[in-house]
Amino acid sequence: MAYLTKAGVIGVAIAPCVTDQRRSLEELLYDMGHAALRDAGLTIEDIDGIVVASNDQYDGRAISVMAASGSVGGVDRDILSTPSAGEHALVMGALRVLSGQYRTQLVLAWSPTEASPLPEAQRLAADPYFHRRLPLDEPAADALQASALLAADPGLAEAAREIAARNRRNGTTAYPDLASAARPWSGARWPLEPGMVAAPVTGAVALVLASDAYVAERGIRDPAWIAGMGWATEPSFLGDRDLSDAPALRAAAEQAFGEAGGKTADLAEVADATPYQQLLASRVLGLGANLPVNLSGGAQSFNPVYCTGLIRIAEAANQVRGRAGRHQRAGTRTALAHAASGFAMQYQTVIMLRGEAA
Amino acid sequence: MSGRVGIIGVGQSAFRSRRDDASYPDLVREAVSLALNDAGLGLEDIEAVVYSLSPDAMVGIGNAERLGVDAVGARNKRFLRINTGGATGISSVAAAYYHIAAGACDVVLTAGADKVGECGDSQTVLNKIWDPTYERALPLGTINMLAMSAVRYMHKYGMTEQDMARVVVKNRWHASLNPNAHLRALATEEDVLASRMISWPVKLFDCCPQSSGGGAMVLASERYIKNRKLDAAWITGVGHCSETYYLGDRMGNGYAADHADAYALRNAFQRAYRMAGITDPRKQVHVAELYAPFSNTEFHAIEAAGLADLGQSPAMLREGAFRIGGPTPVSPSGGTLCTNAIAVTAMVRVIEVAQQVRGRAGAHQVTGARVGIANGNGGDHQFFGAMVVEA
Repeated sequence: MAYLTKAGVIGVAIAPCVTDQRRSLEELLYDMGHAALRDAGLTIEDIDGIVVASNDQYDGRAISVMAASGSVGGVDRDILSTPSAGEHALVMGALRVLSGQYRTQLVLAWSPTEASPLPEAQRLAADPYFHRRLPLDEPAADALQASALLAADPGLAEAAREIAARNRRNGTTAYPDLASAARPWSGARWPLEPGMVAAPVTGAVALVLASDAYVAERGIRDPAWIAGMGWATEPSFLGDRDLSDAPALRAAAEQAFGEAGGKTADLAEVADATPYQQLLASRVLGLGANLPVNLSGGAQSFNPVYCTGLIRIAEAANQVRGRAGRHQRAGTRTALAHAASGFAMQYQTVIMLRGEAA
Repeated sequence: MSGRVGIIGVGQSAFRSRRDDASYPDLVREAVSLALNDAGLGLEDIEAVVYSLSPDAMVGIGNAERLGVDAVGARNKRFLRINTGGATGISSVAAAYYHIAAGACDVVLTAGADKVGECGDSQTVLNKIWDPTYERALPLGTINMLAMSAVRYMHKYGMTEQDMARVVVKNRWHASLNPNAHLRALATEEDVLASRMISWPVKLFDCCPQSSGGGAMVLASERYIKNRKLDAAWITGVGHCSETYYLGDRMGNGYAADHADAYALRNAFQRAYRMAGITDPRKQVHVAELYAPFSNTEFHAIEAAGLADLGQSPAMLREGAFRIGGPTPVSPSGGTLCTNAIAVTAMVRVIEVAQQVRGRAGAHQVTGARVGIANGNGGDHQFFGAMVVEA
């Protein structure tokens, strides 16, 4: 099917690594929402609806969206939450705009680090009978995926090292002020090597979406249009999956590329909690060897675990808008954003973004 | 938008205190199978799934929707989860609706389940919805939260404990006609008034049960429905609105919202009515399934839906206005007061209304119902969703 109208990203605020621990979560979210609105040239009064995403276990709250509703302007407004993944908030917000019943949406996701240790919070997502006692957490699932890929092609280890080093270099260029806060995580499991997983940090991201009619009415000049959108899931039990492949990513890409009329992109932002994720995604997405990938530094540089997916989309949108800052690639008109969440990339999302002139 | 969106299949399990016979994914699958059979479709016909699940802690599994992927047949398909607390069920139907209204899909499944009856103590879990620094330690739970609403409503409008008991008597009678309801035993006003005090003025019989069970719905585009000549109930109005997070903001001097009423629910209904072209709900709405987990909250839900003026619903209830056979039956299924599997409770409200306008509600059918309304409330009486469903 084809969408009936267009939706675009018109405002972005990215905090890939929050170093000031004095602010409360509500203050952080208030700042992020306002920053994205300022970037769009709007105020909260211009927002028809809000979609947020957070993780109850990371936040230490049941229905963690509740705490956000005041600070993101949800009072007396329509607010939904997609706790399955940060990137699903973008999908839901875009669908609401594309339905023609909303002109604008504010989309936010965040990832705190108060839960300690984070893998223990993640372990609660393993089924209680078979996997929780292994114990299975996201670092373990990521390591199993790396293992499966290496079993098929032992030569990938060198490529993984190169990706980790390149993404970290990109992160230093993109966010030099935060470079000192980017640290490798000491909990990486074999066969992941030291330096292949960044330590979890607090982060948040916000985007403003608008319809084509609203963009025209307000004279907004640099939207990143959502040209294609795909999202899909694999089953939960790792034993039911071939971790060296990503069929849900293939399905999501097929949706997104089909809508966008192809997979052409000037650059890509790709899930890289481990460099093996980026290798697998690049293979399944068919990314060319010379395509710039993760100029932002990716999750290899800054790893706010729950919102890294939505940050990939926000970074890609900013590139298309020409507002990526120090890591802006000149002449970017189209971008591919890939996000993954859950154990070993269970949820896969692909967003194709296109500038006004593309 | 792409034409109307219709409901072509619904499924709800028999709700009970325990469902030891079914694992959590089994319970979801049970409802999905019923909805697919009702729609005459198979899992292969489903293009996208919206998973309905409120707090993870209620089922004791983080992001438990991941375990439900195979139960809803979503492998390699579009899939996401919605959570707006108790409103999750109706928010999930709305999310599925947006998939179709946007033109992304023709056929979408929304489904979920809950095991509230097996969670140990839902109030302990629900205490964790409040801010850990300011309000969690009081300790707040959803019962004392809404008992405070009852006290305020009594003060403003003169509601009595007997008025609350009348809601229970009506809804238990309705539930006795509904084979899916959890609490189906009839109750008298005396039974309610004599039941154990939980949080004044709310007594045991004024409270919903902790239920285990599942719900599922299949939604489709008008084009799909007409091409296949399917029977559908049409979603003609959708609205959401939210209140403040902190209960303290609804009390004391300079409160942001009056805790007796439900102004954000009223706004949600007004949005849905505007979309559906409903200007006089008392005349145009034939049946209502309103989310009211405690007897007193049915009053402000009725008023927020525009079926009574503020403070007038207790008197109208005394006159039989909201019983099956009355002018506008409210919760003919027995409502949330008799069944509450939180993740799908608000979805069941939409399911029941769809069955009513399709003339398939069975013994609790409201004669001649063609236009129905449903709602869900979530968080700390914070997130509200409303829907209009028509034949």
